[in-house]
Amino acid sequence: MEELILELKKEIIEVLNLEEITPEDIDTDAPLFGEGLGLDSIDALELMMLMQKNYGIKVDNSEKGKEIFKSIRVMAEFISNNRTK
Amino acid sequence: MEIFIQSAAQISIQNPLCEDWFETPIIPTLPYNRSIEPDYKQFILPIASRRMGKLIKRAIATSLSALKQADIQELDAIITGTGLGCVENTEKFLSAMVKEGEEFLQPTFFMQSTHNTISSQVALFLKCNGYNCTYSHRGTSFESALSDAFIQLKLGKIKNALVGGQDEMTPDYFNMLGKIGYWKTEISPEILQTSNSNGSFAGECSAAITLGTEQKEQSLCKLHDVELLYKPSKERMQEVLQDMMTQANISSIDAVMLGISGDQKNDDIYKDFAETFFANKPICWYKNIFGESFTAPGFGVYTAATCLKKGIIPQHLRYNNIQEQELRTILVYNHFQNKDHSLILLSKC
Repeated sequence: MEELILELKKEIIEVLNLEEITPEDIDTDAPLFGEGLGLDSIDALELMMLMQKNYGIKVDNSEKGKEIFKSIRVMAEFISNNRTK
Repeated sequence: MEIFIQSAAQISIQNPLCEDWFETPIIPTLPYNRSIEPDYKQFILPIASRRMGKLIKRAIATSLSALKQADIQELDAIITGTGLGCVENTEKFLSAMVKEGEEFLQPTFFMQSTHNTISSQVALFLKCNGYNCTYSHRGTSFESALSDAFIQLKLGKIKNALVGGQDEMTPDYFNMLGKIGYWKTEISPEILQTSNSNGSFAGECSAAITLGTEQKEQSLCKLHDVELLYKPSKERMQEVLQDMMTQANISSIDAVMLGISGDQKNDDIYKDFAETFFANKPICWYKNIFGESFTAPGFGVYTAATCLKKGIIPQHLRYNNIQEQELRTILVYNHFQNKDHSLILLSKC
């Protein structure tokens, strides 16, 4: 799981172009939206694309998305249980 | 009503956001040159700039710099000329479509791949709800934007305007243009001045100028007229030039700023123009230090306005050796493929 968490952090930094942020700066359990990284709705779309492209997981329900994108750890657990890639 | 160029700022292959090019220009030696990027953190927070492509960052930095110089607090209009828009993001978006199909397209690249993203991002950043327009007319995009601002100022619809010329040159686009003979393989000031071959060298353009109806201490020059002509005959060109000078109450042009770039096919048009209408006048160029791009004429206006403000033309901008008696008026002439032509008349404040 820790390996997946690190991989996910790196992918998020790259896809969201989070300049000057390293994987170590991202709190695994902090909220991704609002507080924490302070992501917004466009970032949510980017994360949905990332899930689909890299892990074969299609997130087409916004309520479900809110749960999955709660934190890096929640995301990683969901990916681990549902990935097809 | 008089119109003034209040300020100007550039990011290009020269040192950015300064006038180093006026005294100590960087002399290009390669056919492909990217802009020198300033430290954008002094203008935009990293969290705000993370979705912005290079061109958007350049547009915001030059806009903020020009607005600060002109001390403009309330902006009435943002008008941008761009030949290609945010082509880097367009390429990323299209490449992803080719590679991945239509399923995995990233929204950011799509959102920022359109031509009018530049003007709108600048407006969002400045919180400017005024007139916002983008002109994408290939080699006369900048002049079209300038003409719009000029007309609106003359009509009294706006009191000031931010006009930008914004274009980037990606490696892929450079290579594509190279295949149809756009670039020389070797570049030097001598080659550009004496070559009998076609092609020039690539630059990138981010030029922002502010216009206003009120003369300020920092105003660079007066903008008397902007004329856009399509395939004009020599008679028509003569007529328009005469009209421009009559309207501006100007009896003589002291120097002519041309888009000569070392590309013989293009330069022949400029030389013919100069010989026909301005024989024995100082001829100046700017693409020798800024390179070729669709909105490069923005640098023509920028360099001419700077020369008028400083009262001198530096040696490296002189194409011939004729000296002016005094520097009060400069005509900027540009053409694109000998179809679209533009004339911009400037004078000292």
